[in-house]
Amino acid sequence: MQGVRKNNYTKSLAILVIVIVLFFLPQYGSDYAISIGVLIFLYISLGQMWNLLGGYSGLVSLGQQIFVGIGGYTAALVTEVWHQSIAVSLVVAAGVSLVFAFIISFPIFKMRGVYFTIGTWIVSEALLVFFRNWKFVNYDAGYNITIAYRIPMSQIYHGALVIGIGSVVLVYLILRSRMGLALMSMRDNEGAAEVRGVRLYRTKLYCFVISSVYTAITGVVLYLNIAYIKPGAAFGIDWTVCMVFIVVIGGLGTIEGPIIGAVVYVILRQYLYSFPGISMVILGAVAVAIILLMPKGIMGAIHKKFGVEVFSVRRRIDERLEDGS
Amino acid sequence: MELFVQSVISGILLGGLYAAIGVGLSLVFGIMGLTNIAHGSLMILASFFIMILSQQATGSVILSLILTLAIMAAISGLAQGFLVNRVLDKGAEPALLVTFGIAIIIQNALQLAFGADFKSIASPFASINVVNSKWVVITGEYLLNFIISVAVIFALHFIVRKTWFGRSIRAASSSVVAAELMGINTKRTYVLTMSLATMTGCIGGLLVGQTFGFYSYSGMSYLIIAFGVVVIGGMGSIVGTLLGGVILGVAQLLGAYFFGSGVQILIGYLTLLVILTLRPRGLLSNMTRK
Repeated sequence: MQGVRKNNYTKSLAILVIVIVLFFLPQYGSDYAISIGVLIFLYISLGQMWNLLGGYSGLVSLGQQIFVGIGGYTAALVTEVWHQSIAVSLVVAAGVSLVFAFIISFPIFKMRGVYFTIGTWIVSEALLVFFRNWKFVNYDAGYNITIAYRIPMSQIYHGALVIGIGSVVLVYLILRSRMGLALMSMRDNEGAAEVRGVRLYRTKLYCFVISSVYTAITGVVLYLNIAYIKPGAAFGIDWTVCMVFIVVIGGLGTIEGPIIGAVVYVILRQYLYSFPGISMVILGAVAVAIILLMPKGIMGAIHKKFGVEVFSVRRRIDERLEDGS
Repeated sequence: MELFVQSVISGILLGGLYAAIGVGLSLVFGIMGLTNIAHGSLMILASFFIMILSQQATGSVILSLILTLAIMAAISGLAQGFLVNRVLDKGAEPALLVTFGIAIIIQNALQLAFGADFKSIASPFASINVVNSKWVVITGEYLLNFIISVAVIFALHFIVRKTWFGRSIRAASSSVVAAELMGINTKRTYVLTMSLATMTGCIGGLLVGQTFGFYSYSGMSYLIIAFGVVVIGGMGSIVGTLLGGVILGVAQLLGAYFFGSGVQILIGYLTLLVILTLRPRGLLSNMTRK
């Protein structure tokens, strides 16, 4: 018992040190390191939120780009058209995505399994076509987000840091709560969970809404970093492709997974920029290769080999027992 | 009024083509429960093969199609055997990501080889009007698309329902364990199913290439049409695909008739969402076996 507690202290201390080191990165890191950091934190957040849906609620969505797009467009409209601050655009993005997630939950929650997967994608494609034909958002031309040029990189970095770490903390807290238990029981056996008193619809709805709102907030900062928005890119399936990549490569249904996945994804993509043209081919091949070698992702492989877990939300039977049954 | 009738007729004919795009997806999902994201890209790869072969080597579209069918059956069979089969029993997401990976590889390899230019396959029927009356004009191309698509769908229906091979794939879809006990090699059955599904995609690729044209990234936009068609009909229902295609085709062209061509795709998607909300498992879902 003593050993376990000691181990926990070391772990907390290590996490604290890492956070402090990351927080002061703008003081000593190069511009390149900072820009990589921004991307990694934002993709961690995207990955965590997709994992909350796909890994824990069994809601495999191909439509989370809806909320990246909503976040990005809110940032553009609020700062460019209405000349308000970034803080306002964060609040508006949260509000709009909350309402939108709630509205579309009525039709898409009727669909299950693969129908849900495809339904969410169709919603996002419909939204893409709608935005292209919508005068209010400047049709297909989109917006330059000029406020992005005026804010220093270190501010964007700290915003991304807060969002990235916040997403990890949020998912951890959700999973340690009563709702987390409900989620995991649902994922393992929906029927049994419902019989034991889990409110399936409501739990899934909460999860969907939380994930969507947080993805939209991440979208605001993502587009402050990109500084230019167009419907085709904002609502493109590519966002969800990279979320799926990050989560499945890192380890589906683990908190560490999206962190590892985001680091691998961002660094790999940066490295592959030096091979223009063929870079996406290599990325696709790497994704396929990692999945074939480690079907449970990198974290799954590490856990199986060393039994290490950084963020334990475990209240279930040991995996080795499960395998033996 | 004339335009309305024209829209409905063209919608039905277009729907046949949509069904040909979607039916392979439906087959793969019905048999192995796999959401094959690579379907659209495999289809466009076939379009490129047909175009190149007919221009550079054979000079005949039919001969190129036959060659392409063989090539694509081999490619998709190998991809299924060496990549997808290995992760199929590890859950839905790894398999989904593998097909995603294959789609990205195909798209970008095509981009690398052929650039981003818009291509098309020459069609001898494009300018012939079969019916040319006051009410309605039917081009030979659309009619031929419809006839070929219906033929493909009924051929597939026949194969799955009546042949020994069809029985083995249906057996594998209802219970892998029972099928293997009966001496069916389910992994091999999956490989053959994927090849068969991709061959229907090749025909879809030919028709799409002649009618609309394509470029290296077209796969994803045709994939979403294929998904739409398949979910309206009910995943796994082969004949339902035809119904789904016709509904989507008519919805799009009537959308164009009432609201202008800019939003026709939007109307198509909204129709899809309404149908899915009312019948979340597709229209013919109670008739399908899985």
